[in-house]
Amino acid sequence: MALIKLEDVSKLYGFGDATTLALDGVSLAINKGEFVAVMGPSGCGKSTLLNIMGLLDRPTHGTYKLNNRLVQRLRPPQAAKLRRDTIGFIFQSYNLLPKLTVLENVALPLTYKGMGLTKRLKQASGMLERVGMQSREYFYPSQLSGGQIQCAAIARALVNSPSIIIADEPTGNLDSAGSRLVMELLSEIHKTGNTVIFVTHNPELTRYATRVVYMHDGMIIEDEKTALGQVATTARRQLYSRPRKSVEDDLAGVSLLMNMVEEKDLASESVKTKKSGKSARRIATKRQRSKDETE
Amino acid sequence: MSFSPGHVRTAVLTMRQNRWRSLLTMFGVIVGVASVVTIIGISEGVKNQITNQVNVYSKDVITVSSRAANLNAFGVSSVPAVSTLTPQDVSAIANIRGVKASVPLEILSGQAKGDRIFHGAVVIATNQNLPLVLSQSLAFGTFFNNQDSNTYSAVLGANAATGLFRDSIPLGYSFNWRSQQFVVDGVLNNFSNTLFSNDTLYNNAIFIPINAANQMSLGNRSIYEILVRVTSSRLLPIVDKEINTALLATHSNQHDFTVLLPSQVAESNTGVLNLLTELIIGVAIISLFVGGVGIMNVMLVSVTERMHEIGIRKAVGASNRQILSQFLVEAITVSLIGGIIGIILALVANGAIRSLTNLSPTLNWQIMLIAVAISMGIGIIFGLVPAFRASRKEPIDALRND
Repeated sequence: MALIKLEDVSKLYGFGDATTLALDGVSLAINKGEFVAVMGPSGCGKSTLLNIMGLLDRPTHGTYKLNNRLVQRLRPPQAAKLRRDTIGFIFQSYNLLPKLTVLENVALPLTYKGMGLTKRLKQASGMLERVGMQSREYFYPSQLSGGQIQCAAIARALVNSPSIIIADEPTGNLDSAGSRLVMELLSEIHKTGNTVIFVTHNPELTRYATRVVYMHDGMIIEDEKTALGQVATTARRQLYSRPRKSVEDDLAGVSLLMNMVEEKDLASESVKTKKSGKSARRIATKRQRSKDETE
Repeated sequence: MSFSPGHVRTAVLTMRQNRWRSLLTMFGVIVGVASVVTIIGISEGVKNQITNQVNVYSKDVITVSSRAANLNAFGVSSVPAVSTLTPQDVSAIANIRGVKASVPLEILSGQAKGDRIFHGAVVIATNQNLPLVLSQSLAFGTFFNNQDSNTYSAVLGANAATGLFRDSIPLGYSFNWRSQQFVVDGVLNNFSNTLFSNDTLYNNAIFIPINAANQMSLGNRSIYEILVRVTSSRLLPIVDKEINTALLATHSNQHDFTVLLPSQVAESNTGVLNLLTELIIGVAIISLFVGGVGIMNVMLVSVTERMHEIGIRKAVGASNRQILSQFLVEAITVSLIGGIIGIILALVANGAIRSLTNLSPTLNWQIMLIAVAISMGIGIIFGLVPAFRASRKEPIDALRND
């Protein structure tokens, strides 16, 4: 039985002429214990998809079943409760409250659960220990590095022991060391039986995932199961954007550039008065013509 | 609704981070609460003073005045154009059983000149019973008695004595009034004077024997008040009734006079005060209202500013209600602190009034409690709209708002 089941989900933004289709009939089923990476170019609807799955946003059309319960039209209090108890959110920009200490930030979800102060701080402290941040409990987010802040954010996402962790580009603002730290943590969480869904631009990070979903223009264009520790094949080819160019196209493009550089050098050497850009373009068209002729 | 201490902490934190803004926000409430509490304090204090005074000077004294005199409670200015009380009334009252002593007060016009002219002076023709009826003693000298009530002697109120003469003890000195020389027999002790009471009048008064006034040709004269002291408090209602009957007889059944018991005198004296108090409280309530709008305004800005924070809180599981109560608690905290500052200011103001004037404002805990409740109420009323706005936001819209 699928933990998350989206059927024909669409999301529209704006009105009239300015309507944009952020999600275009997406159907997706995610089982318990999966580690799903969502990839795709900017603006392809990854974040929208995650927001809908995380109950931060509602689909315009389609149905969303979470744990076999229809949730796309929940009343705000129920949605808040589900967010609190079953979903942990991790953001690219961390989204810790700057005025609170790391410990208080991590304890925040427990506050909304109605837990007493001492108890929740204790639990938050335990969670920070788990992500290796216990020594930084009383720091403010502004006093920490990006990686450390994200670890705290992960602790916050985990503190309610949710079954689903949704991470929207958790490594987007981090250097490779930070990314590694964060991904190791996520993978550890996955190992304890959680379902993790994350967005990334970095194909390398698909090593951590058991499944990679590629999106483009609001649609899922590829859905691939991968083995842990391996870069997904599609990702390896970096072909998560359409329309795809063939290798030949790429080569032609590169050689064109090379030729332009060549011609430019020649032109500047021989006739100084000639404008290099112009000649390059002329040469380029000549090449194209000859290519067409050969074909 | 959940009002956790965490909300209060967040509120205090936010306030501390925007000190100036919070202070300005509170300003309206501070001014409103301070003025309401100060005014109520003064009013209560003055009322207490008047009541005490009635108890000291005229505890068992029934005041008979012509009807017109009762309309205005401002001591001097309440002198009626035409009084309906006559010397016959005085003698009629004196004959009633249970009356210990009665004294007519007849206000006469004309300037008195001793060493100098005292402009505030009021000449009152009365009889020898005055000290007994007002239970006031003399500072110096003696009050004119039955024997010398025909002579041109006078007793001065404390202010009149210092106003007319350079000498602090003007016994035996003389002053002129209406081309008649009067000799000062005595000086009354100071009536601890309060706003809106007859005692101001007494301190400025020059008392002359009514018989002396009779001997002068003074034209129109009228009795302003007759004060009647009864032998015991128990007899007050009976004597009150008897005076009414007696006067109705002498006034040929015209009820053109008023008989006031001590408690009623205090009431009539505080009537104007109450009106004034209500007016000022009305103005102060406008200030509170404006203060509330100020809080609402700032809270709305704050909600817009902190939209991202709201988004984060919602993302980690805060429900609309929890966000609502958070912002409501903030508004209440701001207005409550404003109210408390207002009360402190009012205490300071009342202390200053107490030491600089002869008023003694009293502040009891009920007034302060009410002030606290009012400021909390303002926080709730004017914090609701912004709090609702904050809570209604869709989490994703709030999060996008950076």
